[in-house]
Amino acid sequence: MSTGDTFLPRRTAQRPDLPPPPKLPPSLAGNPSLPYPAIGSELAELRLQIPGVHGSVLGGVDGLRITHDAPAGMDPDDLAAMAAATFGLGRQVSLRLGHGEFRQSTVRNQSGYFAVYAVGPQALLSVVGHDAINVARLHMYAPPVAERLAKLLAQA
Amino acid sequence: MANLDAALKDAMTIDGAIGVALVDYTSGMTLGVAGGTPEIDLTIAAAGNTDVVRAKMRTIEMLKLNDDIEDMLITLGGQYHIIRPLTGSNGKGLFLYLMLSKTRSNLALARHQLRTIEEQLEL
Repeated sequence: MSTGDTFLPRRTAQRPDLPPPPKLPPSLAGNPSLPYPAIGSELAELRLQIPGVHGSVLGGVDGLRITHDAPAGMDPDDLAAMAAATFGLGRQVSLRLGHGEFRQSTVRNQSGYFAVYAVGPQALLSVVGHDAINVARLHMYAPPVAERLAKLLAQA
Repeated sequence: MANLDAALKDAMTIDGAIGVALVDYTSGMTLGVAGGTPEIDLTIAAAGNTDVVRAKMRTIEMLKLNDDIEDMLITLGGQYHIIRPLTGSNGKGLFLYLMLSKTRSNLALARHQLRTIEEQLEL
């Protein structure tokens, strides 16, 4: 436990009795039967309705992009992967605290926001916004969009 | 000096007050609300009025008026809405939003009382 003459506090590993995490659903990426035009118009509408939204990506919980409405210079595959990483953290937190399904996560950096919303159990909506975005408005507008997207994905 | 909860409670004692909120217009998030009705969600009102405040501030800037908003009055058929940005150094980026019933309120008095509440608000 000691490194030289200093003792570092260590956290002893705990194995709480947790239920195993639910199995992830099969990937939606590349599924040709999804209603892409309807999904695309939902994403475009989100960008047009909320000033400050740069773009959005619909990705699976596996981190693979389903479709996107991101401007050139913003890699949608990266965003889908980061959304899944955020989702993973949220899922772990929920597993430990017993808070149920992942719903939403927001990252704010110096000059922008990155928000991730759960789209049903198998997809994630990530939205990139300007720092001056009205986040309260985004948080009101995006969940119904995510709900509609979940319905569109369920149809396929 | 009054803290946030006391200030919101004071604002609700203004004649005709329906609801009041303290809002951060950099994000549109509410710091506190009081009153409201089951039909009126003050957090929605706060997010929407954030855009109003921002638009007015941008207009003042574009006109190079070199001035600040003291308060804003929006008159509806049945209500008055008063928006008052905070002036204190710790209130930067915040505004008070007060909804009044038109028939039950005295606008001049309400505006005066809201100014007093704003001046005494300590965050």
